[in-house]
Amino acid sequence: MEKSNFESTREFYDQWINMYKATMGKLIEMPAVGPAREKSEKMMKGFSTFVNLYAAGMDTSSNLQEVFLEAMQKVQEKISADMDGEINPEKYKEFYDIWIQTYSETFKDFAKSGHFVSDLGRLNANLMDYQKYNRDMLEENYLKPMNLPTKTEIDEINKELYTLKKTVKELTRQIKELKENK
Amino acid sequence: MNELKLTEELTEEYDKFRHGIELLMKSPDFSVGTTPSEVFYTEDKMKLIHYIPAVAKTHPVPVLIVYALVNRYYILDLQPDKSVVKKLLEEGFDVYVIDWGYPSGPDRYLTLDDYVNGYLHNSVEKIKEISGLDKITLLGVCQGGTFSIMYSALHPENVKNLVTLVAPVNFDSNKGILNLWAKGLDVDKIVDYYGIVPGDFLNSAFLLLDPFRLMIDKYIGMFERIECNTDDATCEVRNEDYIKNFLRMEKWIFDSPDQAGETFRQFMKDCYQKNLLIKNEMELNGKKINLKNITMPVLNVMAEFDHLVPNDASIPLADAISSTDKDTLVFPTGHIGIFVGSKSQKEVCPKIATWLKPRSFLNGKGDEKIGSGKKERLELAKEITGSGKEELPELAREKKLEQNIKKRKSRVNKK
Repeated sequence: MEKSNFESTREFYDQWINMYKATMGKLIEMPAVGPAREKSEKMMKGFSTFVNLYAAGMDTSSNLQEVFLEAMQKVQEKISADMDGEINPEKYKEFYDIWIQTYSETFKDFAKSGHFVSDLGRLNANLMDYQKYNRDMLEENYLKPMNLPTKTEIDEINKELYTLKKTVKELTRQIKELKENK
Repeated sequence: MNELKLTEELTEEYDKFRHGIELLMKSPDFSVGTTPSEVFYTEDKMKLIHYIPAVAKTHPVPVLIVYALVNRYYILDLQPDKSVVKKLLEEGFDVYVIDWGYPSGPDRYLTLDDYVNGYLHNSVEKIKEISGLDKITLLGVCQGGTFSIMYSALHPENVKNLVTLVAPVNFDSNKGILNLWAKGLDVDKIVDYYGIVPGDFLNSAFLLLDPFRLMIDKYIGMFERIECNTDDATCEVRNEDYIKNFLRMEKWIFDSPDQAGETFRQFMKDCYQKNLLIKNEMELNGKKINLKNITMPVLNVMAEFDHLVPNDASIPLADAISSTDKDTLVFPTGHIGIFVGSKSQKEVCPKIATWLKPRSFLNGKGDEKIGSGKKERLELAKEITGSGKEELPELAREKKLEQNIKKRKSRVNKK
């Protein structure tokens, strides 16, 4: 297959990311100084987190577009072979069957590929980083100053509650055993 | 095709769509899990449900169904006419099922050990207590089957028979897409961010398995199946039944409980990523799970076209255990079809029942009969022990069980 537009798109994004890392990225990740250095550093880290997510999203998106293109080409080939190259309203059912079957199979094949597994893993990991960063920032900049409970604090309470419940269960079991052995 | 025919076809399609919408607008009652039952025991969010027996005298050894944490147990009792639970009751079994509930708050810290050695173990103990037996049958389904395998290896003294239904034990399979995807996931990041992993997160993965069929074709198919034959009086009944069953399945698919984070973390890492269970290297709370401890009769049931748990994820169980009485059944269905497809009622359940019946007796002979009255039971006792004393522990237990059933039936009727 000759070079598709999406490959060019991907090349463009790769170049953009490399350029960013070599220039702006370095500036942003530079250690902060001054009274607001802690806050400033955290804020800047968020930018890198977003860029990583964006890059992963772009890779996934170009790969998916590639698959769409492949599926579309396969549909065209099947139409030529099975429907004598004729797409008209009278054959809409036949067309739908070819379309759904081809798209379904092409995407299922892609889902099994190493590309997709790696895209999915990378996109998901970057999404989690990004969401976690946003939550941390929300806690740091809004919840804490307003003296509202943060997720971290709620988690601590939940862990305590879980441990207590487990201890109570274990003690109840031991008391029951002791009673039975009397 | 001429224009007239095309117009006719399009009109027919439109009629089906309109009729389907009309049926949906009637808000049909599509209740699920309608087989009469009662909550027998609760612990935190877990409920142990007992189904009211369908026969006067059940097979002595009760069956505990252990379903997965993903999705809900009522897939086994989805439609009144296609229910694994109902079929097992009709076959004379005393059936229990675990409803794991919907985790929230502190449940994010629940571990696999809490599920297997906690909730599952306590449920088994409760059933043992009420039935007066030392062992019961476990019927584990999907991930619940994996839990049942773990439990049977850790507590073989409590398990009379183990039946696994589409249950993975070997996770190093390239045939299952989920197995492939799981290897690339950063599980720690997911659990650390969510705490309790949303059911919708997992559902989106299931939809990605075949997005075009599951998000487009399925709904187009729903309308296509609508019949608009005005000459056929039964057509409307069939349409209503079809829509109800479609909605039941739709409800089940998207009724996905969130996952306790720590359990999800261990299950994904130890099972899907490191495949420790089949290697006898997996641990629960520091205790190693050795599959060789499984010595009880085992029936491993698989679906030939299972896209979620491929057969090579289940087959290795037979070689990994020490049981000498072990069988495998494979049915030409898919992962869900094995519970709700037409073969489920006609073949799967009857064959499981046939295997289980002779193994569901305390004496191991398998020659007791269902529905026998007192006289017959005494005769049976004579046959077994040479005496005819009603004080036989086995008979006393049966009596106790019958009394319990009567009590429960009356409570359910009152409700």
